[in-house]
Amino acid sequence: MRRTKLVPALVALALALAATACSPSKQQPTPDSSEDIAADMGPHKQGGSVTIANVTGQTWTCQFNPFNPAVNQTSNGFVYEPLVFVNLLQDQAETPMLASSYEWNAEKTSIVFTVRDGVKWNDGQPLTADDVVFTFELMKKEPATDLYALWTGAGLQSVKGEGNKVTLSFAQAAQPYFFNFANQVVIVPKHVFGAGEAAASPATWANPNPVGTGPFKVDPCTANNIQYVANPSYWQPGKPYIQKVQYPAYLDNGPANQDLASGKAQWGSQFIPGIENFYLNKSPDNHTWSPPVTNVALIPNLDPSHAATSKLEVRQAIASAIDRARVAEIGEGGQQPAANQTGVVLPTFQKYYDGAAVASAGYDKPDAARATSLLSGLGYSPSNPLKLSVITVTGYTDWDASLAVIKQQLAPVGIELTVVDLAQQTYNERLFKGDFDLAYYGQAGGPTPYYELRQILHSANTAPLGTEATTNFERYKNPAVDALFDKYPTADDAGQVQIIKEISGFMLRDVPIIPVTESVDWFQYNTSDIRGWPSPQNPYAQPAAFNIPDVGQVLLHLYSKSAQK
Amino acid sequence: MRYLLRRGGFFLLTLWAALTLNFFLPRLMPGSPLQALRDRTHNKLSPAALQELLTSYGFKPDENLAVQYVDYLGNMVTGHWGVSIGGSLGVPVTTIIGEALPWTLGLVGVTTVLAFLLGSLIGTVAGWKRGGRLDAVLPPVFVITSALPYFWIALLMILVFSVWTGGALPSDFNYETGLQPAFTGEFIGSVLRHAVLPSATILITSIGGWILTMRNNMITTLAEDYVRMGRAKGLSGRQIMLGYAARNAFLPNLSGFAMSLGFVIAGSILVEYVFNYPGLGYLLYNSVQNVDYPLMQALFMLFTVAVLVAVLACDLATVWLDPRARAKG
Amino acid sequence: MTVLPAPRIRARGGVWTAVRHNRKAMAGLILLVLFCLVAAWPGLFTSVDDPNALAYAPALQPSWDHPLGTTSLGQDIYAQLVHGTRESLVIALVAGLFATVLSVLVGVSAAYLGGIVDDILSMLTNVVLVIPAFPLIIILAKYAGQGTLGVMLFVLVITGWSYGANQLRAQALSLRNRDFLEAARVRGERRIYIIVFEALPTMTSLIVANFLGAALYSVLSAAGLQFLGLGDPNSSSWGTMLYWSQNQQALLSGIPLWALAPGLCVALLGTSFALINYAFDEIGNPALRPVRRQRVRRS
Repeated sequence: MRRTKLVPALVALALALAATACSPSKQQPTPDSSEDIAADMGPHKQGGSVTIANVTGQTWTCQFNPFNPAVNQTSNGFVYEPLVFVNLLQDQAETPMLASSYEWNAEKTSIVFTVRDGVKWNDGQPLTADDVVFTFELMKKEPATDLYALWTGAGLQSVKGEGNKVTLSFAQAAQPYFFNFANQVVIVPKHVFGAGEAAASPATWANPNPVGTGPFKVDPCTANNIQYVANPSYWQPGKPYIQKVQYPAYLDNGPANQDLASGKAQWGSQFIPGIENFYLNKSPDNHTWSPPVTNVALIPNLDPSHAATSKLEVRQAIASAIDRARVAEIGEGGQQPAANQTGVVLPTFQKYYDGAAVASAGYDKPDAARATSLLSGLGYSPSNPLKLSVITVTGYTDWDASLAVIKQQLAPVGIELTVVDLAQQTYNERLFKGDFDLAYYGQAGGPTPYYELRQILHSANTAPLGTEATTNFERYKNPAVDALFDKYPTADDAGQVQIIKEISGFMLRDVPIIPVTESVDWFQYNTSDIRGWPSPQNPYAQPAAFNIPDVGQVLLHLYSKSAQK
Repeated sequence: MRYLLRRGGFFLLTLWAALTLNFFLPRLMPGSPLQALRDRTHNKLSPAALQELLTSYGFKPDENLAVQYVDYLGNMVTGHWGVSIGGSLGVPVTTIIGEALPWTLGLVGVTTVLAFLLGSLIGTVAGWKRGGRLDAVLPPVFVITSALPYFWIALLMILVFSVWTGGALPSDFNYETGLQPAFTGEFIGSVLRHAVLPSATILITSIGGWILTMRNNMITTLAEDYVRMGRAKGLSGRQIMLGYAARNAFLPNLSGFAMSLGFVIAGSILVEYVFNYPGLGYLLYNSVQNVDYPLMQALFMLFTVAVLVAVLACDLATVWLDPRARAKG
Repeated sequence: MTVLPAPRIRARGGVWTAVRHNRKAMAGLILLVLFCLVAAWPGLFTSVDDPNALAYAPALQPSWDHPLGTTSLGQDIYAQLVHGTRESLVIALVAGLFATVLSVLVGVSAAYLGGIVDDILSMLTNVVLVIPAFPLIIILAKYAGQGTLGVMLFVLVITGWSYGANQLRAQALSLRNRDFLEAARVRGERRIYIIVFEALPTMTSLIVANFLGAALYSVLSAAGLQFLGLGDPNSSSWGTMLYWSQNQQALLSGIPLWALAPGLCVALLGTSFALINYAFDEIGNPALRPVRRQRVRRS
């Protein structure tokens, strides 16, 4: 995908440099007034149309197979729905969708879903427990459709249907996988996927006319545009309010951002350089709000063959020397917040954060003196610097800018950092196989810090140097940390918070990675006609259009002001 | 006959060389489709499942390279080009190319042929009216335009005709996204409007070369004895210009045209990239970005075949236009 | 460019005299010399040492301090342009040189060695000539790690030699049976001597023309590659400037000079090569020269 990531550029850096003193806070999301929020609650009259500007870098293929990760962002949430929606931004607040309710057993090794009554597929057939069973069975039969490794990784052992109940049984406690199997997996109709061409190759079937339960139907799809029309028999009465969604294909950020600025598109999902001038100042109806969800971090190589980065003192020195707030302000133009050494993303996951521990470990503010003394203990100084290189991806201009700031901050404490820009492919290869001193990288996350931290720290996700690791690229191995992660699924809510705090302790003690900034979901929205957007006051779903299945929630909340008269 | 066999052999050899290059190059370099897919899905999904998925789409990296190579050659030749394993995961390559091909043919193809014919015509006149006002201005001007970078002209066009005019002419894509493809005035108008800037770019940068070579060929030909004889015979100027001189001066231009198709392709990639025009050039760029072996391979083969076919066609046309070439074979 | 008839000019002095008397050649040469000066001593033309440093306010309009304004990243566009000259020029000259050497080697050996060697070499030339170079370059540059200068040069040379080789072979073939070569052969000179000291000098103007063509090709291709983001994004060159300006949407952000100025420089450098090259065509083939005094009689 070309330049989609692209992100807060050096622009930002320059802006910040230029405007050093005069603007203390630039990127405040524009708050809605309280009446707007009250008005957003609905119900609303139906009508209106919304246009999405989300750059995918290619024209549409008009395939809507929800198991195909290359195309499922145009079907999941629009046409297909999950059992339960889990909101990452509101402490896992749940909205029952195709399951009207569910119940765990005491050990959380088995869960019973009650399939909602009265839901129809958009071809008129009713949704039944059979469909749900079929969906999960399919993933067992066709490993290529098991995108979340439920049968192989999560320990799913059987799926049984009885009446309107569906029971999933796991080999061990499976609560953390709820986010995946209830929220990310969408339910497909047995009568479509179990017949003909689809049954022969469910993973690769094109599925040009998707039959789903969702609020919208595809009508029609061309290479340049997908038009969705409201599903008149949608199971939530009166919804969706919006009657049409236009999803044009954008090959490049430029035209997409231009359409957003002109108001031709109302829902943006990529970085806009110089957003103040380019977008926000163009209309009082243009707003932006990009909530943080994961970390962007320096990943040190912990393998002993990398003498410097496998030394704790070196990592501590880097973590102390970096002024994260400044990296966020200059490198990311204030469009991303600073991260903290625990790896718990704030403010999204506030309740898991142990501020006192961070302060007592000395990472609550940058401490160049500490970094200098740590490094001089190893014999390094600005005149005899430790030479390190960091790999990053060409075209991620904000990362370049951030690394430029980091480089500047490390120089006076005795580290000479070389930034190595690599083509995406080369970068992936070296990152996955562990061929780096330091790498600049952002993980995917989940509804609690557990997901991201487990990916980063659990030894099951790593591999020896030279073979591809799944997500633990720094090659951190600590049985005590593994044990904490393994305890998490059976713990209650308070226990889980406690476990995350303990794991944070290891982040502070071992400095396995050095989080620098928090990456965000890019989101811009225009309120001249379309209302009901997610906002800091009402963060009912992740707002970017590429978030599945969250996009479905946003679509159910949007309404047209002009249609209300 | 021997000549044709020779050309046929050359055709096959070149095709084989191109296919072989295109098979081994990407595989020798870092990065794999799986890594690209993992990256594109933000590393959220199980690598095992993605591997399975790619396998079911026909990507089998663990198979013996020689077996893969032989399979690949066979599939390429028989039109079994497989499905995309990159950005358009799962779409048959023939479908993807089929959608992009008309746009490239319509834009780049038509413009290139137009530039060639127009350029040859202007060159003929310029060469004929040697030292005339046209001839005084043309050569230096077109020496310069033919040295201009495609993409720079493209940017200039966008700036002048799109940005400065507040979007009077569209600067990206092939038609208004809201429209449905149909034989309506609105749709066709939109397609044409979107084609104006990219085709003007191609025309401006490519026409100069044809004018210059045609003019030079004309001048060389006009000095030949048979042209003088034509004059002596009292033939009209027009007859000599078109029937005697231009016909022969055109021959080297024709083979030049075939050879230059490679450059046309280069230009079209850049032009399609700048204008976000969803044609073959844009596809190639995208397939390389996404490590999409099947698409990349099919496109590269298509480009090579296009040039080869053009070379052959021009050979034949030369034989048809020039009796001497027939004897030479 | 057409295959030249055997040129009338043998010694270098002759070429120089001819160039001096050709206005197009002089214009091209002056441009080229100017670029060489800028490339050799950028310090004479700007006081900025590190053009990529984000030292100024972003997106400034042109002014006395910043003749072309600043980028949206806060770099002086004029300084970038000056410092970018060197890499762009080096790419053109070095790639052009090596490509020419390769074409001379292949083309002339094919013609003089003849037989099976000729068959193989000219087949190779034709194959390389026909395979579309630019897509190949994209694939090569993309996968050869990020396009460092060396990779870029290698790619351009590998794809840029075949056209010249073809032409040189043709001309060498036509020279093969000329008297002065025959004489050398009769004198009992070694074949390598004949090729290097007797044949090559007679081909000077074609070789120079080829060098110019290859240099032009390299300028345009390199700029195109860098523009697509296949070069080293941290380097200082015109193509890299173009990449960043596109990346930062310079046209839409009201900084058109950021994209136009480096593009114009690429165009000017290309033009200088093209002008000299065209002039060489005219020198080699006097019939092409513009007629100034009398029009050719019409019939």
